[in-house]
Formats: sequence, structure tokens, C-alpha cells
Amino acid sequence: MRSPRKREHAPRAGAPIPERFRVARSTLIFDHAMNIVIKTGGIAVVGAIGGIFIFLLIQILPLFRGASIDYVGSFELPDLGIQAMGIDPWSEIPFFVDPDGTLHFLEIVDPGAPHNRGWFTVAPPLPPDTAFPFARFNQRYGKLLFGTDDGRFTVVNLNFEQSFPEHRQREIVPRLSGNPVIRIGRSDAVFEELDYVDAGRTKLAVALQRLGDGTSELHAVTLRATRPLIGDPVLRRDREFDLTGLFEGVPRFVRLTGDADFVIVGTEEGYLHLLARTRDGFEPRQTHRPFHDAASEAIHSMDFLFGDLSLILTNPEGRNVMYSIYHDEGEGHRILGRTKVFDLLPGGRGADFYSTSVRNKAFLIGSGNQAAIRYATTNATRWESELDFAVEHALLGGRYDRILFVDDANKMHLFELSDRHPETGLRAYFGKIHYEGRAEPEFMWQSTGGGDAFEPKISMVPLIWGTMKGTVFAMIIAVPIALLAALYTSQFIRPEMRGIIKPIMEIMESVPTVVLGFLAALWMAPLISGSVPSALLVIAALPAGILAFAAIVTALPRPARRWIRPGYEFLYFAPFMFGIGWIAWSLGPVLEGILFAIEDPGTGAVVADFRLWWTETTGAAFRQRNAFVVGVFMGFAIIPTIFTIAEDSMSNVPRSFRSAAYALGASRWQTAVTVVLPTAAAGIFSAVMIGFGRAVGETMILLMATGNTPIMTVNPFDGMRTLAANIAVELPEAAQGGTLYRSLFLGAMLLFLMTFLVNTLAELLRQRLRERYKAVE
Amino acid sequence: MSRDISDKTRTGVPKGEVWVWFTSLGLTLGLSMVLVLFGLILVRGLSYFWPVPIVQIELQEGSESAFLGMHRFAGAVAKTQQRTERVLVESPEADAAEADRTVRETIPDTFAEIQLFLGNRDYYGQSFRYFRDEDVVGRTRPEAIIRAERRAEGDGIFYARELVLEDGRVVKRAEDVDRFESELDRLVGEARHRRAEINRIDRRHIGRINLEMSDIEVELRYFRRQDRLTSEEESRVQELRERRDELQRRYERLETQSDALKRTNESIRLRYERADGSRDEMAIGDLYRFHYPNRLGVSGRIQTFMIRAWEFVSGYPRDANMDGGIFPAIFGTFLMTLIMSIAVTPFGVIAAVYLREYAKQGPVVRSVRIAVNNLAGVPSIVFGVFGLGFFVYLMGGTIDSIFYPRAQEAGVPTFGTGGILWAGLTLALLNLPVVIVATEEALAAVSRGVREGSLACGASKWQTIQRLVLPASLPGILTGMILAMARGAGEVAPLMLVGVVALAPNLPVDGTFPFIHLERKFMHLGFHIYDVGFQSPDSEAAIPTVFATTLVLIILIVIFNLSAILIRNHIRRKHQGSAF
Repeated sequence: MRSPRKREHAPRAGAPIPERFRVARSTLIFDHAMNIVIKTGGIAVVGAIGGIFIFLLIQILPLFRGASIDYVGSFELPDLGIQAMGIDPWSEIPFFVDPDGTLHFLEIVDPGAPHNRGWFTVAPPLPPDTAFPFARFNQRYGKLLFGTDDGRFTVVNLNFEQSFPEHRQREIVPRLSGNPVIRIGRSDAVFEELDYVDAGRTKLAVALQRLGDGTSELHAVTLRATRPLIGDPVLRRDREFDLTGLFEGVPRFVRLTGDADFVIVGTEEGYLHLLARTRDGFEPRQTHRPFHDAASEAIHSMDFLFGDLSLILTNPEGRNVMYSIYHDEGEGHRILGRTKVFDLLPGGRGADFYSTSVRNKAFLIGSGNQAAIRYATTNATRWESELDFAVEHALLGGRYDRILFVDDANKMHLFELSDRHPETGLRAYFGKIHYEGRAEPEFMWQSTGGGDAFEPKISMVPLIWGTMKGTVFAMIIAVPIALLAALYTSQFIRPEMRGIIKPIMEIMESVPTVVLGFLAALWMAPLISGSVPSALLVIAALPAGILAFAAIVTALPRPARRWIRPGYEFLYFAPFMFGIGWIAWSLGPVLEGILFAIEDPGTGAVVADFRLWWTETTGAAFRQRNAFVVGVFMGFAIIPTIFTIAEDSMSNVPRSFRSAAYALGASRWQTAVTVVLPTAAAGIFSAVMIGFGRAVGETMILLMATGNTPIMTVNPFDGMRTLAANIAVELPEAAQGGTLYRSLFLGAMLLFLMTFLVNTLAELLRQRLRERYKAVE
Repeated sequence: MSRDISDKTRTGVPKGEVWVWFTSLGLTLGLSMVLVLFGLILVRGLSYFWPVPIVQIELQEGSESAFLGMHRFAGAVAKTQQRTERVLVESPEADAAEADRTVRETIPDTFAEIQLFLGNRDYYGQSFRYFRDEDVVGRTRPEAIIRAERRAEGDGIFYARELVLEDGRVVKRAEDVDRFESELDRLVGEARHRRAEINRIDRRHIGRINLEMSDIEVELRYFRRQDRLTSEEESRVQELRERRDELQRRYERLETQSDALKRTNESIRLRYERADGSRDEMAIGDLYRFHYPNRLGVSGRIQTFMIRAWEFVSGYPRDANMDGGIFPAIFGTFLMTLIMSIAVTPFGVIAAVYLREYAKQGPVVRSVRIAVNNLAGVPSIVFGVFGLGFFVYLMGGTIDSIFYPRAQEAGVPTFGTGGILWAGLTLALLNLPVVIVATEEALAAVSRGVREGSLACGASKWQTIQRLVLPASLPGILTGMILAMARGAGEVAPLMLVGVVALAPNLPVDGTFPFIHLERKFMHLGFHIYDVGFQSPDSEAAIPTVFATTLVLIILIVIFNLSAILIRNHIRRKHQGSAF
């Protein structure tokens, strides 16, 4: 259509437009204005629709970004002879332990500002006349370990508090408290390694000492906390064990797991020994050779990941593997096993510095001027770089937000680390992952859990599985019913009945799904769970029943058939259907008695109960809220959708097609099957797909009637958790911008894409079909 | 084909007639599913209001059905059924050779049972109980038994015995039945008035004071955090403190008033006796309404039914939403749907007019159209996620940081949290495709002749659209709107993310300035169903309430749909009549 305005501007040359044909100026201006308003408005609305997709995309993009670090500044360190270093939970005051045991703190935030305290020292509460040449800091538990050169050690607790001085900036204040000095191992040797763990009731320390003759000894001491009448509990030595004879080889590394149940020893020869604590001592459990397949079998470094259950090991070639303690079903107890193999370390050398995050499963590792941050759960390298200095010590900040490097020129370099979602990535969402403490790699969704060392499990696969399971069950119920009904309504029914049936189906379509979910969970589920055989029997009996009924009716002599008016078959059948259904339902217990009886092992009695039979024979669970119930009610929700579109495409088949078939003598069934169905096939297919799309995104029914456990089974009598229900369950509790929040956005994005693609495909098919019909007409 | 003809002439049955019948199964099944669903909701929903007679049963001494050592129960019959239980039987082996072995088997034992709604949840610990018919030795329908709606713990079913008045006088039923009953009526009626007055004070006056106080607190908290205050700010603090103290005084005055009423309601007590003979008492203020179920005739029943239905749709919920009315949920649903319609109509119509009348028809517009169409199929929860991220956090957060920076700093979001406005806008977005598609169809139905005629008369393009095209397609647009409203009223999943709550303390519209509070959280019928059915402490006792709520929601939806269908049929008829 051409714009009227254009005609206005093209008057015949020379001839003035008569007054009565002239359009008022205001009308033209208004028309022009509306043109602009509608065009911009229209484009804006259409753009806003696209904006949804872009907004979701922006929300999930950070999940797939790596870490980045920014250089902040460098600090000259005095010549301390650093024995250990650590940092407070807010990453503001790192400290260095000198050989005298003094802690040197440096405030690194706002250097030069008036409130900045700069360097300050704190002397730990140690006995005055003893030297402690060995020092080590456990960042997670805030414990400083000091060892003498004559076989004694002590534990100093280091806590940090925030204080708010009047009208001044917040300050982090270290608080130290001491413990008695405890003897461990031999008194004539220095410590090579010392570890201590406090697992509540059990407190355990191990010491590795090198003797003058080059041999090494390993001793363990259990400690007890005794509570005096006044004051804090005091640590006392309980029992000592010599662990040297429990393994072969020269020990080089020793670590205690966080629960104080295991001692893990790495030897010079490249072996890893697992010693388990028993009631009265220790026993060797397992021996591994972590690098048996490498050219250099030696262990170069061995450190715990956050949680103190997994060891990060390297060998001199830079190979990097992880061993974890996990529960093994076959063994029946916890074992140590290799769970991860990381990429080769940059530079091809073993790790000379290592620091674990105390927020998540990330660790900083490297040697010389090569450094990398890796994420253990996902095997991912979050960041990797070549630095322009050689690193002696490295430390990850308490909130996984800063990195400190101390170089060989005694200079400290401070970096800001920004890595907000280290646990994410394609692998985390779609790959099988060997989670800490699990026996094998799995797909798991478990976003929150107890303990600070919990690793969120955010695989989308169980949710996609649950979505597909629910959809498939719904489709099994809905597609046959909807398509049969559509075929009947479009081809065989009386036209006047069609006018009633379509609105009924439309109203059914608009029944809120929360109503269906409520009925499914609180009415249907209890009803079905006790009578599964009845339900199965009804499902089998109805098609059989109608076929038998129809065979009888059509075999009747012609006069007897006269009272059945074609086009009203469904009404004639209705009472019989209820009859057949009722009989089948009441025969259910009989079927149960015949087919689903099992012997109760407890009483020896024969019990006919489908639920018991199902668990007994298949080994799978039987839950009241299950995929079967969901299938029936989701079927309910999507039958009208499929019905409406399929019916439309079937009844829109050009009349001439059908007339031709009838003229050739085809019966109404032959016409329907050989002419209508093939012609409308594309439309029927698109109806099924749109139904599929609706089932995929359905939320309330699944939220209410599945139990929402993210498990991956095909068992129809067990629940599942779908993408949509997962969002409804977890998003209200998710912190804005956090990993869970964005992961749920990813779930929403998956749903969006799935339904959008399926619907687009369906729509294209329908358009092609429409054009085909148009061509015929 | 020729064989077919001969077949037909021989048997008289066209080919495939059996399969035609088979296809009718689909329709019969589909229709009966609808029928069963609506029938179930209608019956169970209406029976929530219908006063049923109370049966008092006497159980055989020592029978299995007895519980808590009681043998007499009164309740409304909820269900009668035949149940088969399997009983373990041991019998000696029939074979004489192995007579010492016992055979264990379960044999079915079928018996009839009734389920009674016992009420008195505080006493029995549950609301429903099954009794075997064979255990019941006596059934009566006592005239004097009362079914009482109470403030908490569901209904009570008991005999009223004595009334203790405010001044300590005791009115005994045993002495004068008529006087007692009229006294009871009077006292319950007075208590209801006092309760209404308490509500008025608490909800309207005290609620208003609380709102202002919390605003003042937020502002004061902001000033407290500042290092140094200017003199203006100092005087503002002073002003706020004075205002707070004055409000506090007013609050205390009102509270004394409402406390006095509460005390009166508390001091008048009703002593009653349950079916098993146990006695108890309750404050008259906790007795909301009562009737004598076994005395009611048909008209009495209808009257009680109407009153209960009215109180359900007009009352406020109580007892963890399990009892009382659903007015806030109906109102919330209504207001949210209204906001949605106001938001969706102009945008939907403008977009459709643009796509149909202004945009150049070509592959771009066609693909846009497909995209819009498909957006209607995108799951509603995805829109909820978008609404939370975009409306609540981004837009709401921005509004807060501009207009309510002090509250935001104090960690009290105003618009930066779910609310009825964001819920309405989210649903508007969800329904935008529905409205666009419906409007486009309606615009397309206006014939070319009409437009060309108008243009030929010299009307401008906009004049044509405004005066001819839009009026002609108005019914179609209206149909789309109503369908969108039906969809919006029934949608729950996205609302759970953007501001629906189980119990909102205030309605989004009330007497405090600025009267319409779009940032408030709200209640919704659909969410009410989810919440009461799944989050309530006693979900079995809650099921009847849920059915009643479901009925209200379904009626609402059906009304929307029927009106849409009627309008559409009307248009069709008009079009058939026209000569185009």
C-alpha cells in the first residue's frame, strides 16, 4: 500500500489543488507524528522482546569468563628470613614469621593514608628462653605451628577481629593465644615437617625428623584438651606413636587429613602411603605411586586443597595430579585414590610455591616466574601467566580476591584477583565431574550444603534429564489422546458438535497449572500410589474396550445400526467407557494378587502389593509423587495445545481433496488416513512440537508433584527435578549476582533456547503447510 | 478401489469403521477428563461451604477404631468407603506329614468404613479419622451440637454448656436452654463487633503509624551512620525524633483502646463439652461463628452456605492461611491483572499496528512475527527469571538508589524487591506476544476495501487506522486482552520470583498516602493454592480450603474465557453477515 502522503506531494504541475481537496495541515502533522510514534514504539517493543534474550545472555556470560589479575603495587620487605606467611580473612594485613617467631604485619590497603598502620609486629605467646626455628601457618584453621630444634612444638591460635574505632576506618586486629609446648619424636633432631589437626575430640600432631645418619623418623602424638576450673582449655600430650615402621622408604612429606583419621606420607622414592588411625594406633592402608607412568617418579610437592581431603601433587617434570579420600562402595570404607589429572605445569617444573584458597577449591601453584591458578573441581586453569620476577613465596588472599608474591629480591608484589565464578565453566555444567568424597565422576546438582569446604555441584545434566523425563511421560499420555481426538473432531464429528468442543478444549487449556499440580499431588498421587495395577489395567482396557465395542457395533445388522448416527460415536461410547474403566479399576487388586505378589522376607507371608513388588524386582524406588502421576497431569495441560493446532491443520485440508477421495469411493476412514493425515502431517508434527515446548517449560505441576530430587533414573515411579522447578525452588533464595543466581539464569536460558528453537521449527513447518494449501486453493 | 466398492455393497460397512470408533476414544477421554476435573473442583469446592450434619458415633468397647482411649466421637462424615486390607493368617499345614509347620498367608479382608471430620484439632491432634462400620454400635444426630469456626486450630465440634460473663456470672444451659442460646448468640455477635473494632484499630490506625515509624527509623539509622552532621541535618534528626515520640504516644493510646476490647473478648468464656465428655473452655473472642448443623433445615443450610461463601471471599485469612477468607488473594490477583492489562495494551497494540500497517512486509517482518509468535511459547518461569533480574534488581535497584538512597543504604529495599508492580510488568511481558498476535489477526481481518475507501476519500493513514481499522478490530483486540488476563490470573510460577507472598500484612491499596502502593508484596489465588496445599502444617486439613480457593480461581478463569469466546462468536457472526 502506498502512503497517501506521497500522493499529496505529487500534484500535477501547474494546476493548483482545489481547496476542497486540500488536507488540513494539522491532519498532516498529526499523521506524521503518529507515523513516528508508531514506528519507534513498534520497533522498541519488538526490540524489547529481543532484549530478553540479550539480558539473559549478559547475566550468564560471567560464568564462562576466566580469572583476571591486576597489578596493585609492590612493597619492600625488610630482611626477615621468612619462615611462614599468612593473611587475615579480609586480605588486608598479611604477615611474615621471622626465625624468632615474631609476626610482622603489613597493612596493604590504602598505603600512605593517615589511618594506615604500615608495618607492625606482634610477638606470639611463646616461652621466652626457647628458640623456634620451625614455623608453619594453617590458613584455614588460623593456627601457627612452632617447632624447636629439640623435638618440641606448640600451637598458637591466631584470630582476626574487626574493630571500629570512633570515627575512624575499620581496623583488622590480630589476636593470639598460646598453648603449652609439647614434646614429639626425638629430642636430638630438627623438624623437617610438622602438621597438626584439631578435629574436635581428636587432636593429632605428626612430626617428620631427619636424623644425623640421614635416616628419617615419623612420630605422631595425640593430644587432649583439659578444661581447668577457670580459663580456656589447655592442650595436653596424650599418647605417642612411632609411625616409621609402618611404611617403606624415606619419608619426605607428611600431611594429616582434616578429620584426623588419616596420615598421608610421601616418600623420596615417589610413593604415597595412607596410614589410618585406629582405636589404638595406626595401620597402613594403601600405597600409591602417583607418578608411576612418568619419567621422573619422585614427588616434588604435596599440599592439601581446601577441605584437607585432597592432595595436590607435582613431580619434577611439572606433572600435576590430585589424590582424594573418598568412600568406596566396594571396599566399604574410605580410601585414597587418584581423582584428577591436571595439565602440565607451565615451565615444565615441579611446584615450588603453592597456596590454596580458603573460600573454594582453587589453588595457586607454580615455580620460578611461572604461576597459575587452577580450580580442582573442574580441572580448569583459571589463570596462567609468566611474571617478570622469580617467586619465592605466594599467597592467595582470604577471600580469593588478592594474590601476594614475594620474589627473590625480597619484594612483595600485590595483585587484585577477580574471579567471581571460579567453580563454573562448560565442564561444570555439562560434564561428568569427580567431586570430592565421591567414588566416581558423576552428574550432580546440589547447590548448597553443610560445611565451609562444601563444593557446589551445579551440573545441568540431571535437571535436563528430569525435564526430558517429565516431558516424555507427558507426551506418551497426551499425544495419542490429543491426536485421536483431533482426527475425530476434524473428520468424523458432526459440525455442530465441533462448535461446542473447541471452546471446551480452550477452557481446558486455560486451567491454571497450579490447580493441576495441586490435584496431581494431593488428590491423584495418593489415589494412584495404592492402586497402580488398577491404573495400568484401565490404561490397557480402554483401547481394547473400544475396539471390541466397535467390532460388535459394526457387525450388527444394518437395521440395528441405524440408531447410531455417524458423527456422534463419542457420545454413544461414553457410558461404556465409564463402565469399562470402572470394571478395570476394580479388577486391579485381582491383577495385583496374580502378578505382583512377593514373599515378605520378614514374616514369610505372601504380600500382593505393587509398591513392594516394584522395589523388590527392579531395585528402584517407589515414591508417591512420581513421573507417572506427573505424566497424566502434564498430559492434561498439553492435550488442548496439541489438539487445537492438530485439529486446525487437519480441518484446513482443502475440501477438494476430501471430495475427490469420496468421489473415488473411499470410506471416511480411508479418506482420513490416506488423504487428510499425509497432507496435514507437517501441521500435526508442529502441534506435537508445540506441545513438547509447553511440557518442557511447565513449572507448577512438576514443582508440586515430583518431589524435586535431582536424580537421573528412568523409573516411572520415582521423582525428578526439572530445570523450571529448580528455578522456582532455588532462585528466591539465591544471592543476586552469585554463582547460583547466574547458574539458574543459565537454566532459564537453556529453557528459552529449547522452547524457542522447537517452536520456530514448528512455526516454519506450519507456514510451509499453509502455503501449500494456498497453492491448491 | 473397485474392490472397496464391492466390499461396501456386500457387507454394508464402510472400510475402517472400527478405527473411526477408535479415534472417538481420544475425544471421549479428553472430554471426560475435563468433566471429571471441573466436577471434582465444583463438588469439593462447594462442599467446603455446605453445612453437613454432625453424626455422633458410639464405638464398641475395645474395638480397633478407638483411639486415645475414647469411644464416642462426633464429626461430619467426609467419606464412606469399602477398603480391603490384607491380614496375616497362620494355619497349620494341611498335609498331615508336615502338620508342625504353619502356613502363613495374607488374606484380603474387606470392610466398610467411614471417615469423620472431627474438628477440635487442638484436642485430637488431627482432623480426620477413619472408623470401621462394624465397630460402630450407635449413631445419633444430637440437636444441640455446635460446629464453631474458631480463631485457630480449625473448627470445633462440641456442646456448649456454660457461659462465664464479664462480671463472673455463669449462665448455664442446663438451667434455661432458650436463655442460654440467645445469650450465646448475643455474646458472639458482640464479640464480632469488638473484633471488627480491634481490626480497624490494628490494621488501619496502628498499621499506618507503624509504616511511618519504620520510615523514620530508616532515616534515623542513616543519620546515625554519618560521621558528621550539618546543622540542618541535626535539626532534621531532632524533628524526626519528636515525630517518632509523638507517634509512639499515639500508638500507646490506640493500643490501650484495642487492649481493652481484647480483654473483654478474652474475659467472656464459653465452657463446652466434646463428644467424649471432656470439658474445656474458650474465649468468646476466639469463636468467630457457629451453627447447629443438625437443626438446620434446607433454607437454614442455604443461608449458612451463603454466609460462609461470602465470608470466604470477603474475609481475611487466619491460622496460617488455612482458615478464614481469601479476600487479599482475590484482590491481589485482580489488581495485578489490572496492572498487567494497563501495561500490555498500549505496547501490544502499537507493536501490532506497526507490524501490520507500517512495517514493510518482507522477510524481516515475517521473521519478527515468527519470533513474537514463539515468544508466546517460552516458559513463563523464564519471564519470571527475567523479571527478577531486570525489573526487580536492575530497575528497582536503580529507582531505590535515586529516590530511596537512605533506605537502600540501611538494607531496606523499596522497589528493589519483589512487588505488585514488577509482577504486573513481568506478566505484561509474558502476555505481550498474545496481545500482539491477537491484535494483528484482528487488524488483518479488516478488509482492504474499507481502507482503500477511506484513503480514496482523502483520509490520512492515521485517520484511517484511528477511525476505521482500530474500531473494526476492537472486539478482536478485546478477545486477545481477555485471554491474556485469563492467562495472567492463573500464572503462578513467575510470580513466585517477583513479589507474591503467602501472607501480606497490607493490601497494595489502602487509606495511607499515596493510596496505591505498587512496591508492596501481594497475595495471589494461585500462589495461595500452592502455599496452603504444600507449605501448611496440616496439609490434609487444608485440602478442603484449597479446593474452595481453586473453585474461586477456576470460576474467575472460566468467566474470562467465556467472555472471550462470546465476543469472538459475536464477531464471527457479524463478519458472516457482512458482504465482504
